[in-house]
Amino acid sequence: MNPSRSLSCILAIAANTVRESVRSKLLYGLLFFAVLMIGAGAVIATLSYVEGDRILQDVAMAAVRFFGVAIAIFVGIHLIHREVDRRTVYTILSKPLSRGEFLLGKFFGLVLTIWLQMAIMGAVFVAISLAVGAPLGPAHLAFFALTAVELALVVAIATFFSAFTTPVLAAFFTFGVWVLGHGSRDLRDIGAGADSRWFQWVTWLIHRVLPDLETFNLSSAAAHLLPLTASDWLLPILYGAGYLTLVLFAAVAVFERRDLR
Amino acid sequence: MSGREIVRVEGVVKDVRPGFGLRRKRVLHGIDFEVREGEIFGFVGPNGAGKTTTLKILMGLSRATAGRARVLGCDVRETAFRRHVGFLPENPYFYDYLTARETLQFYAKLCGMGRARRAERIEALLAQVGLSQAADARLRTFSKGMQQRVGIAQALVHDPDVVFLDEPMSGLDPIGRKEVRDLILRLREQGKTVFMNTHILHDVELVCDRVAIIVAGRIRHLGALQDFAGAGERQTDVLVAGLDADAGVLLEERFAAQLRGVGDRIEVRVPEKHTNDVLASLLEAGAQVVSLSPHRRSLEDLFLSAVEESQR
Repeated sequence: MNPSRSLSCILAIAANTVRESVRSKLLYGLLFFAVLMIGAGAVIATLSYVEGDRILQDVAMAAVRFFGVAIAIFVGIHLIHREVDRRTVYTILSKPLSRGEFLLGKFFGLVLTIWLQMAIMGAVFVAISLAVGAPLGPAHLAFFALTAVELALVVAIATFFSAFTTPVLAAFFTFGVWVLGHGSRDLRDIGAGADSRWFQWVTWLIHRVLPDLETFNLSSAAAHLLPLTASDWLLPILYGAGYLTLVLFAAVAVFERRDLR
Repeated sequence: MSGREIVRVEGVVKDVRPGFGLRRKRVLHGIDFEVREGEIFGFVGPNGAGKTTTLKILMGLSRATAGRARVLGCDVRETAFRRHVGFLPENPYFYDYLTARETLQFYAKLCGMGRARRAERIEALLAQVGLSQAADARLRTFSKGMQQRVGIAQALVHDPDVVFLDEPMSGLDPIGRKEVRDLILRLREQGKTVFMNTHILHDVELVCDRVAIIVAGRIRHLGALQDFAGAGERQTDVLVAGLDADAGVLLEERFAAQLRGVGDRIEVRVPEKHTNDVLASLLEAGAQVVSLSPHRRSLEDLFLSAVEESQR
């Protein structure tokens, strides 16, 4: 198949996925609570005599990350399963497009939807920061950029699990990877200090195999307005893109072999 | 049989696991058939016979455990041949937030059709399936029959050479069924090949050129529809009035006759070789012969005997 036809198929699926995703009531519910939490940061900040701006932004950035991941997981896990369950996939895959193109279209559509939600959360964050006079800098931009990459990676992982299992299991596995991905550095350090070689090896393997999601966490640097070098944000983006590509390859390979009954 | 080979299925076996940890069950037992260019091929069988499984294998949605399936000379796992193939699944489901027109546009884009050709083709198809008036209504407001029409339109959107239809009359009222039958016949007139899964034998008799009867995952009969009509022992139907019970029992015992009440008359079906003897017996018993006609073995007879055979 020629690349332009392939791209046009992926875009058609992606556009339809965006259209479908923005109709999700769950997505709006999560977005509402995210905006509420960002706003609540301003209220919580008034309870403190010191560093009110930092508390506001800490709470708001935590809300962006938590609700962003919640949206990515809860919408992502249904991505393929719903199409198979409702059998819409039958008519789509009877057209001249590969399963890989279909899956990539679904993935890009959902990533675009989540980035749109992030843009809304970012706009609320900026508006509240400006309203209370909290400082904003390039580190905040880097925080949102890396969170966007992390969420795309979480969507890829949800897509991978969604390609062969039920939404409940896909949610469980994706959430597990997200938790371990954020704790794998600590786990590795704990393992390094343990006496058991077996435990050392397992914790090292978990750190190496699972995505190191703490790489994308710049909330502390943003809250403290720390100066960032290009490598602080460029390397995580490259790492995220590379890992995401591998996960998507695996998802396509699994979905290609799936029997659609 | 004439024409280019369009579909070839050779020794296709399909095993499925009904649930996690359960033993595999064989749903297709090495089936073989072929479909030629320009014919309407009916794939007939009761529910659970393996019709939809076969169609899913042909569309590359499901994989055969063993055997080979080819469409237009290509392995069914390839995607390129689907440019020339249309597919209507059983009870199709579409994105209900799209209108009929948007749905067809979506599928046309997937087929790589240009904007101008898309617009022209979609208008023609909407008219053809009788949805011009409802073209801009969302599919969630559509009845089952209207959804079925959208399904047929999406299968034809890229003007394919081969059309696979899984229960195309499902959900349609008698007028809708007649329209779909006419549409299928028009497709044949245009030189297209139609593969139709169905268990409605009347529709098969009206439109199909060749038929395969599948029961419990095995092809029981395969051939031209007119060959089925002449298959088996020839029989005669004699319609009589005033036949008493004793004479009826005698006919059953002596001539293996089958008796059936038709209003206040009795239809006596006998092997053709006994027709004269049965007539003589009827007249002797004082019955009045109303009509006499050769019995044409219907597809239904063949279908039922295939099902009975599989249950033995």
